[in-house]
Amino acid sequence: MNARPLMRLRLTTDEIGPTPHGRLSIFPITGGSFEGERLRGIVLGGADWVTAAADRTFELDLRLTLETDDSALIYMTFTGVRDDTNHYFRTLPRFETAAPKYAFLNRLLAVGIGEAHRNGPVHTIEEIL
Amino acid sequence: MNTRLLMTLRVTVAAPQNIAGVPHGTRRTVPITGGDFDGPWLRGSVLPGGSGDWLLLRADGVIELDFRATLRTDDGALISMRSFGLRHGPPEVMEALARGEAVDPAVYYFRTTPRFETAHPAYVFLNHLITVASGDRRAEGPIYTIHELL
Repeated sequence: MNARPLMRLRLTTDEIGPTPHGRLSIFPITGGSFEGERLRGIVLGGADWVTAAADRTFELDLRLTLETDDSALIYMTFTGVRDDTNHYFRTLPRFETAAPKYAFLNRLLAVGIGEAHRNGPVHTIEEIL
Repeated sequence: MNTRLLMTLRVTVAAPQNIAGVPHGTRRTVPITGGDFDGPWLRGSVLPGGSGDWLLLRADGVIELDFRATLRTDDGALISMRSFGLRHGPPEVMEALARGEAVDPAVYYFRTTPRFETAHPAYVFLNHLITVASGDRRAEGPIYTIHELL
């Protein structure tokens, strides 16, 4: 499979903690930034719904709103898997926007490689060609 | 992006069910009647009944794919597969595909992101894989080459 860089996304997060469902934790996203050759900007907010599996892996489910430096809004969702034991942190981002300049995002699939940092994760996202 | 081949999946399809205009576009359901898959670590068949692809033809010309299938390996494990995908291309190419003509898959975009679920110990590694697939839409049904994201 061929791919090309789309963006690097940095998120800052908080934690609500376990909910009545027990295995679900909700991490509000308090901010962040993204940049790539074709787009850059800030993260307005969102959250990550994280479900812990019995084998100590985590299923991620994020929803974010991005704002580009020229004021376009982009809705971003992604699911993913985080397995710290095997250092596997991979995601499947999707985008929706009404801004004509960024409409190419509506037509692509992407993959992300995540890294855990103290303030929040950093995702290196590539477009699947 | 580093990947390695997980499997090649061939499915056979029945006549699509055109549900037509729905609030977000044109809905088309394609029942899957069978198929097979093989790769370095697993091989088997696709079970009909509950397997299908739920298409949404969007106003911007992009087809969203919501594929679900049950796979059975040659040693009897059942695997649930789901994938979201996108298919689009130049209008004349999409029209040729819709007529069932053979088209070089390099001239249109047909990519999906399969996820798997199974309880079988030999295949639990599938539960945590993120995979990407490139599709080749044939008249008898699509062929997916699925790569594991390393």
